[in-house]
Amino acid sequence: MSMPGDSTVLRQTAAFLAEYASLLLGCGGTCIRIEKNTKRMAEAFGVNLDIFIMPDHVTVSVWNTAQTHAEIAQRRTAHCGISFDLNTRLSQLSWKIADNRLGLPAAVEHFEGIKTTKPTGKWEVLILTSFANAAFCRLFGGDWFAMLIVFISTLTGYRLKQIMLEDGRDVRLTFLCASFFSASISAGGHIFHIGSTPELALGTSVLYLIPGVPYINAVSDMIYRHYLCAFSRFFDAAVLTACLSAGLCAGMLMLGLKWF
Amino acid sequence: MMWNDIFINIFEDGFFAAIAAIGFSSISNTPRRAYSTCALIAAVGHAIRYVLTQPELGGLHIIPASTVAAFAIGMFAVLFASRIKCPAEVCFFPALLPMIPGMYAYRTIEALLLCLYHTREEVFSHYFYLFAFNGLTCTFIILGMVIGATTPVFLLKKLSFTATR
Repeated sequence: MSMPGDSTVLRQTAAFLAEYASLLLGCGGTCIRIEKNTKRMAEAFGVNLDIFIMPDHVTVSVWNTAQTHAEIAQRRTAHCGISFDLNTRLSQLSWKIADNRLGLPAAVEHFEGIKTTKPTGKWEVLILTSFANAAFCRLFGGDWFAMLIVFISTLTGYRLKQIMLEDGRDVRLTFLCASFFSASISAGGHIFHIGSTPELALGTSVLYLIPGVPYINAVSDMIYRHYLCAFSRFFDAAVLTACLSAGLCAGMLMLGLKWF
Repeated sequence: MMWNDIFINIFEDGFFAAIAAIGFSSISNTPRRAYSTCALIAAVGHAIRYVLTQPELGGLHIIPASTVAAFAIGMFAVLFASRIKCPAEVCFFPALLPMIPGMYAYRTIEALLLCLYHTREEVFSHYFYLFAFNGLTCTFIILGMVIGATTPVFLLKKLSFTATR
């Protein structure tokens, strides 16, 4: 029977924990959550763990309890997009392993099941996001016409984003194009003098693209002194914000709005 | 403003914040069981900020008001997270988004572009003032919001990290 201290078991444990951490990092988990979850599972497996989280890679070293032998596994951060559903399931798995003392084979089986979790339906997201952005416009003081314009511009811009990401286009180019598209459509309110708050429609039309999760995670990482990850997440988000701003400006310039 | 109008405005504010929270939950692939909690927390948080910023009520500046409302959102998120078996950030992120100062951000970019288009000193200074004013307000609102919402997770660490148990 293999014991936790065996080299093969250590290697398999390290590989599992590194894959787990890479998926949790990729789906938008904070560094503190990754640390806590992996340490919880390592304790349940009867091994010691050190984890090194970098923006693009995760390195896990797993030691036997006597600290005489270690195995190291490194994985690239999974590019699965932000998913709180995956985050929740992975956190639940760590508690299941800790509380029910699941062995490594059972843990791997559960993990493989989680990896196949389907994201929210694209049409559902499209409709809900469009309503959300229209509600956003109302919160900023927009009238019903502005809300309608924002709904349509979000619907088309978000659909473009979905198509470009499905085609594997660069995420920065996608943000720029989606923002340009939404801004150009919502500029119609300004050009044709629709409603009394066309400038609010224009300003709100691209807000669905703001990468809020990386910004919030950056602050969380900063609080827990994971400065490199905090910096990386912040700059990733800042680059995307710059892209969406550039798309908005390009849309306004193209349509020659009157204050230019 | 009559009390009746104030209550209608608070309700309307909360209602639209809830719709926005549900929409933004779906973008981040939030589990469906968390939608109603996110909507409720967003409505309460946004209504708190609305009340705090009204001259007849709280009369606070938007920066401290956003921070206080975000702190309330963070507290509710930590408390409700264990009920729906989701991490706290699943609840507070969609609830925070409706408080993003989008118009300040938009006016910052607008003022920046107008700075670039005007070379006369007085006009340039005016737009640069608008750029700095809107940019700083926007930055500090976001900073206050994020710090306000993450502080409860930090303070109630044990509760926050056992929510999915």
